[in-house]
Formats: sequence, C-alpha cells, structure tokens
Amino acid sequence: MGLKPKVAIYDFTDCEGCEVEIISLRERFLDLEKQVDIVDWRLGQERKSFDSAQDKYFDIALIEGAPITQDEIDTLKWLRENSQYVIALGACAALAGIPGIMDQEKRAGWYKKIYPSTSSGQVYKPKGIDALPLSAYVKVDFAIHGCPVNAGELERIFEELLAGKKPSYRPYSVCFDCKRAGNECRIINKKICLGPITQGGCQAICISGGSPCYGCFGPREEANVEGLKQALKKFADEEEIKRYFTMFYNKNEK
Amino acid sequence: MITDKYIAKIEGHGSLETDFSKSQVKLHIHEGERLFEGLLVGRTIEESHWITPRICGVCPIAHNLASLRACEDGLKIEISETTELLRELMVCAQMMQSHALHLFFLSLPDYLGIDRGTELAQKNPKDFKAALDIKEVSDDIAAVVAGRNVHPTTTTIGGFHKIPTREQLEKLLQKIKQTRASAGRALNICSKIKFPELKVDLELVTQKKEKILSNKNDPSTPLRVNPSIKNYKEVITEEIRNYSTAKFGGYKGREIMVGALARLYFSDHKEKEILDFQNPFHNNIAQAIEILLYHKQAGKILEQLLASKSDFDGTSKSDFDVYASEGIGAIEAPRGGLYHELRWNNKGIITYANIITPTVQNLTSIEKSANALLEQNKEKTQKEKERLLEMLVRAYDPCITCSVH
Repeated sequence: MGLKPKVAIYDFTDCEGCEVEIISLRERFLDLEKQVDIVDWRLGQERKSFDSAQDKYFDIALIEGAPITQDEIDTLKWLRENSQYVIALGACAALAGIPGIMDQEKRAGWYKKIYPSTSSGQVYKPKGIDALPLSAYVKVDFAIHGCPVNAGELERIFEELLAGKKPSYRPYSVCFDCKRAGNECRIINKKICLGPITQGGCQAICISGGSPCYGCFGPREEANVEGLKQALKKFADEEEIKRYFTMFYNKNEK
Repeated sequence: MITDKYIAKIEGHGSLETDFSKSQVKLHIHEGERLFEGLLVGRTIEESHWITPRICGVCPIAHNLASLRACEDGLKIEISETTELLRELMVCAQMMQSHALHLFFLSLPDYLGIDRGTELAQKNPKDFKAALDIKEVSDDIAAVVAGRNVHPTTTTIGGFHKIPTREQLEKLLQKIKQTRASAGRALNICSKIKFPELKVDLELVTQKKEKILSNKNDPSTPLRVNPSIKNYKEVITEEIRNYSTAKFGGYKGREIMVGALARLYFSDHKEKEILDFQNPFHNNIAQAIEILLYHKQAGKILEQLLASKSDFDGTSKSDFDVYASEGIGAIEAPRGGLYHELRWNNKGIITYANIITPTVQNLTSIEKSANALLEQNKEKTQKEKERLLEMLVRAYDPCITCSVH
C-alpha cells in the first residue's frame, strides 16, 4: 500500500444502510477520509480516478450488498482483479443478508406474483439470479460484519488496515457483549437467540433494545451450531428455530 | 469503464437513456430484485418490522413503522399515548436524517461547487458544521428512541420493548435546543441557491388524515371524500416497464410527485411561500424547510413527553392476541407516501405482503419532468443537458433500493 491507500466503495443489491453508517461516523469519518484516497464511490462522489500505471487500481475495495444480477457479479469479479484487498461491508456482502432469505428455486414463482404481466401482454424479465454472499464468486479478504455494520467496529477495522495489519475478528461471541451490556440471557428465558454462535463486536445492540439476535455478525470460529440447536429444541419448535437460522444464514448454513 | 454507467450520488443504481432529438428520457433502474413481498411470506408478524427496515438504510424507520401499523391495524391494537409520541419522535428523526443526508451529501454538492459532501468541511466549515449537527441530533434521537440510528431494535407490535429514560430525553431536548440554529442554517443555505428554472404541471400527492390527497382534485372537495388509504391499491397504481426492475407508480395511472414538496403543498406552514410547486428542483428547498419543521416538532414532542407523568422506565406496550387477519400500514416517509399491506394466519405467519414505496410513485414524474427539462432547454449543449438531467434526478431524491424492494 502506498502512503495513502486507494479505496473504492461499491454497493450491490442491498439497503445501503452500511454506507449510511460510514457517513454517520461524521467527524470520525473526516479523520478516516484524510488517511485514504477514495478514488471511486458512486454514492458519495462523481470523481473516479483510476491510475492505470498501477498494478491494481485499488488497494482496498469495500463492497456492500449481495451480487444478485449478472452485472453485479461481473463488477465483483472486476473489482477482485483490480484490488489488493476485497472487504465485505455488512451482512448482505458477507452472508447474503436479508435478500438471502429468498431461496433461488422460489424466485421464478415470486417474479410472476410480484411483477405480473400486463393486460397488453408485457412480461417482466427478471434480472436477479440468486442472492449470495461475495464469497460465492470471489475470494474475500475480510468481512466487516453487521446489519448494519457497527460504527465502532468499522473504525477499529479501518485503523488496523491503515496500520498495515491484517484486521482481526473478535475472538468472542455476542454472549460476551450481551453480558457486558447487562442483558438477561434470552436462552435462559426460553427465547431463541443466535448470540452464542455469533461473532461478537456488535455490543449486543439488538438484544439490548429488546429484539432477538438473528446472528447478523456471522458465525464465529468453531461455533457449536448443533449444540445450540439442541438447546433451543428444548423450548422451541423446529419451524421457529429454522426461521432464526434462515434470517441471515440461509445461504451459509454449514 | 465498467462502473461508469450509473448516476452518481443517488441512493441505488439508475441510469438515463436520453433521446435528445425527441426530448424523451427513460430512467433505467438496475437494482437486483430482493423480492421482499415474497421473503416476508412464511415469517411471523413480529419479524415484519424487523425485516422491512432492511428495504432501505436511509429510511428504515418509515418501513419499521409502516409494518407495525399494518399489524396493529389488523389486530385492532390501540397504542398508548407515550408510544404514539415516541413514534412521532422517530418520524422527526427519520425526516431529518434522510433529508440531511440527501441535501448535504447527494444533492447540494451540485450547487456548491464540490463533489463529495465532506469537501464542504474545507469550503465552508460553518455550513458543514450545521450539516453534521442535524445529522448528529437526528441520529441521536433515533439511537435513543429506536435503539439504533439505522434499523430500529426497540419497537414491537403494540409499542416498545424498551423506552428511553427521562434523563435521556432531557439530554435530547438539550441537544435540540443547541442545534436549532443549524437547522435554520440548512434552510438558509438552500433558499439562497438559484435552482435551475423548470415549469412542470406536477401532480402532487400526499397522505393526510387517512386520506390520499392530490392537487389535481377539486380543492373545494371536503377532505373526507378523498380516497381513503384503505383503498390505496385502487388509487396508487403500478405497472412494469421493460427497462426497470422497479415498477412505475402513479395516481390512477397519472404521473405524480410525492415527498417534501407535495407534503408542504398541503400544509399551512408559512415557510412554504418561497416554494415553486411547479419546479421539482424546489424539492431540495422543501426538504430544508422540513428539516426545520421536524426539528421544531421534535422539540415539542420531547417537551410534551417530559411534561407527562410517565416515569420512562421500562416498556410501553399493549398486550394483544394473535388471530388471522390483515392490515394496512401507511406513513409519509421522507420521500412520500409509503404503503405496507400484510395478511397473516391464526399463528401470525405472514401469507401475503404488498409494499408500495414513494420512489416507485416518483419514477413516472421524474421521466415527465426530464422530458419537460429537455423541451425547455433546447438551446443548451448536450453536455449541459446531461448535467441538468442528473441534477433533476437527484432533486427528486430517488431511493432506488426502496423502489426495487
């Protein structure tokens, strides 16, 4: 990486909420921005500057969203070829996120219902193929997790990157964050929770607000998924458990 | 270059196909379909307001509240006054968050001689400070009341899992007081900008008191005879286009504009006097006016909450029984009228969902205004026209991820 790493920020199909979180860093974003050269960011600027003399256009490509259309898949491959580091920004890029709830084989039926043909005979031509994470198509160097990403984590990971280190994942689960936040344990209270198998770093923000944890931070290393399922089966039925495991993990279940 | 084709600084992926000789513009929408109306089927009603905010990271609160209302409508749940006030406060935050993001980071750079919004920090630090103030106070309200600035965590059918403490509300009120000047400054900046001239016979549509209003309807019509939100499907129509993954909406098939400009048309606020309701570029000024109005409104609600006897500790929630039903939840989102319709079985599992977003309704109007812009600027070079067209699209503040949900 040069003195000022060249950064590209891209978004595929998603809600763009993770980019909103970047802007929501406000003054802290200004600080980060000074340390890099954002050479391509459709949402934030018109400027695009590619230095073709360089081996790769970008030192870091931050990619948000799930590549659903062929065009997005092609762009993703182009970004991989032209970037030193490819970083997934948020749950859609890292896990296929909420769009990943839709199974590929069900898409055709839903296209017909959601985009009905007109009386004049116009038929909708779908563009989406399947909602999959970036890693279904290219090697991803690191994932900044969350739906949306957590501002503090975003900053920490960026600082590690800018210091020339390979960023690290938190070596603990959401349970650690949750205890620190002083929440009651959902599982003890017979409520489904994916916190035990999910990577920490989110500060248990959803559980603290009263919502469930659906695991948007992704499975942590060596997570005991089967063990958790067995524990949940003691008080929840299979359908219910399945709904939790298909919120963010529909395209990732091991 | 592979990445050049999309319009920069709009939420989502769109491009223009322009026939300059015929003054005809098509707005292509490229976003992939996430099929939210499909993926909601099979989920529970308590998951609907968790899932639908993920339609859009810029207006998640609007989707959250629309889904909650749909469920509460179907289950005939009466919410408490505290819940009502806290939700109104969330709406204030949502409007300010979204408008500030659009104005300072997407739209105004066109007029301020900068590219990336943050360049304003050097060019005019005081203006940029005002932008950050508005963003900060609105993000803080969302974080305190909704649990997070993007994608709420505290809301539930019937109320809140968790409500703010009195101390938190007092802090928010303090911050509102400290940032009033910044909200005024945003309007000041916008009202000084000379926006491009354009005259379009705009049909402006808004939701008001359970009704859907249009400026094309006879103004002497009493409010009650306007179409009801319950009949939204007969009024807000959608059609498919072969160049768009979003449907194109309208008012019984006619092109309409929804959002800040339309809302202010139907309001009594005196600030609206500076607006030209036939110039869609004025949507920018309308948003700045709304920033100030919602900023004031947030202050009022906070004072009202603090004056009430509630102890603000714990939850504000109505109990309810689940049974098979259906409901409609409508709300004015930052970009205009949003409609969520849900149907569910006796276990609360969703069996049908229909969502119409504001941007879907605006797409037809964007094309109409784009055609008018070309007609009215024939003397300009193609490059100038292209520039103006992009600025026009941005003035509408389209949220393409919302439109292709």
